[in-house]
Amino acid sequence: MDGLIKHSKTINKLLSRYGVKFGIYKNGEFKEQLFPFDPIPRIIDYNEFSNLEKGLIQRVQVLNCFLADVYGKKQIIKDGVIPEEFIYSAKGFLPPCDGVFPQKGIYSHISGIDLVQAKDNNWYVLEDNLRVPSGASYPMIARELQRRSAPETFMEHRIIDNRNYADLLKEVMDYVNTGGINVILSPGRYNAAFFEHSYLAEKTGAVLTTGNDIVCENDKVFYIDYDGNKQRIGAVYRRISDEFLDPMTFNEESLIGIPHLFEAYKKGNVALLNAPGNGVADDKGIYYFVPKMIRYYLGEDSILQNAPTYLPYYKKDMKYVLDNFDNLVIKDVAEAGGYGVIFGSSLSKDKKADFIDLLKNEPRRFIAQEVIDFYDLDILDEKGERVPRKADLRAFVLTDGKTKVWPSGLTRFSRNPDSFIVNSSQGGGFKDTWVLSR
Amino acid sequence: MGIITLEKSNNLFWLGRYTERVHTTLKFYLKGTDKMIDSDPGYYAVYCQKVGITNIYGSRENFVRTYPYDETDPNSIISNLNRAYDNAIVMRDYIGTETMAYIQLAIDDIKHAEKSGSPLADLMLVIDHLLAFWGCVNDIIDDEQIRNIIKLGKGIERLDLYLSLDKSEFEIKKEFRRMKQFLSKSHMHYDSDTLFTIEKMLNEEGFNYLNVRSLVRGLIQQ
Repeated sequence: MDGLIKHSKTINKLLSRYGVKFGIYKNGEFKEQLFPFDPIPRIIDYNEFSNLEKGLIQRVQVLNCFLADVYGKKQIIKDGVIPEEFIYSAKGFLPPCDGVFPQKGIYSHISGIDLVQAKDNNWYVLEDNLRVPSGASYPMIARELQRRSAPETFMEHRIIDNRNYADLLKEVMDYVNTGGINVILSPGRYNAAFFEHSYLAEKTGAVLTTGNDIVCENDKVFYIDYDGNKQRIGAVYRRISDEFLDPMTFNEESLIGIPHLFEAYKKGNVALLNAPGNGVADDKGIYYFVPKMIRYYLGEDSILQNAPTYLPYYKKDMKYVLDNFDNLVIKDVAEAGGYGVIFGSSLSKDKKADFIDLLKNEPRRFIAQEVIDFYDLDILDEKGERVPRKADLRAFVLTDGKTKVWPSGLTRFSRNPDSFIVNSSQGGGFKDTWVLSR
Repeated sequence: MGIITLEKSNNLFWLGRYTERVHTTLKFYLKGTDKMIDSDPGYYAVYCQKVGITNIYGSRENFVRTYPYDETDPNSIISNLNRAYDNAIVMRDYIGTETMAYIQLAIDDIKHAEKSGSPLADLMLVIDHLLAFWGCVNDIIDDEQIRNIIKLGKGIERLDLYLSLDKSEFEIKKEFRRMKQFLSKSHMHYDSDTLFTIEKMLNEEGFNYLNVRSLVRGLIQQ
């Protein structure tokens, strides 16, 4: 560990050399900046990871069951486990996906589950990301560079190698591939996560594309080369949002989508990773119901806990939220990236009154959660001294024939001592996540 | 990799062109600044005319201080390097992270040189890293067509610049021969009549540089 701290500057220099950056728009202008890396890793021991792994597998399996059900028979609604208005009012529920079944029945191939560890040692799930979760490439390349900068650290500790993420991802793409090449579809150079798109393309051997070179003909998808020859595409790991995926089916103003892609997908001629429509399952309102889903589909108790959550939609919960407003964190279900998060205690009297009016008018739009007193992790500050900061963990779960948890993850931390928000777009940094092999 | 689309071939071609543009103009700038030290302080105006950029600098000092580093000037060396980076970053899956890193290092060098006490000496590192980039193109990129498109871009740019900079006929002919070998290997579309005419002109003694340059600029069909 001391070796990593000693070589912190070298590691950050190497990350810069290899272009480990993320894009951000400030005042309408695109800027690329380095994703600040902290050399003190999060360490998860073998037994703890085994439990976490079981919980994550259980959760992702059940979320896949839920998606198959909600776009299929809708039994969970018929049985009254989830009120139907929660499904149909979810922004991520896409009517065109109703009755459409993805290749091999997998909806969420790559799932990013955000967790925090509380001071009682329990892990709590903060949110599920089943659409286009990003971030795995950062610890993957950071590990490579750390091993080069401080090899002795990795000789002294038994750390599971996390550099196989691209292999796992390729296995998933190959598993659902309908015959043809794998491509990674990116919105382009000015997307916040473009580094990741290009790096994963390089490491998986998939072709990186912005869609300009792709056409759909006779419900099949082709990649067009310089001479106009067509090569069939079997799997698209798309890193663009559902609404922009295909202007013929979703947002007709989308310039980055591929016309008729959804038709080819519907006919089973191309696999889309992740499946369109997954947003209904990672909706912050649906999150509340995940433990109930686990009981409903698997007949089991949830291994991983949700953060205690209240739905103002229910009268009883609304009362609790209003009575305990200052102790809760309120989240707008339509927002992501750390936006739309309000700590009740942070509002002035007037703003609080305005917000409560909004909450009463649009109860389905918000959830409220207890503020979890989670572990701080040490980071090195600018002077090189250890200081505690809030941090979460994004665990990556990959699903092909089996559901597998990548033995690492993206640990994000807040650089601001007073903030719980760890997102890179709001100034957060990242750490490597070590899983010990024994 | 095996599949090169029109857009990707364009990126590779311009990656070659911009890296070469930085390489040759930087070498010319270093020679020019030497002239401006004592023998010809106003040489920067000649430099601008030869390279084909507008002389917005007003003084030797301003030219030396801003031309390599000013990101708001589209003709500056760093602007051309940024364009090389823009073409490289979208081709990471084809050229590799290791190869791309040398463009990033060249950008870091030029930014460092701007603040350095000995900027001219430090700018030489940019040339070192560009040479390392081309070394990687040869050594790391497995796909022959990808290598040849980058080299074709580099060859076209060098020929264009050498014709502008009045290099010797011997140098021009040498660079033409080098560029020509990548034309067919790159599989890029080019005008064979134009190629024939350029070859014919180069075989004449005292050929007109401007005419050859115009033809070189229209050789590749994009």
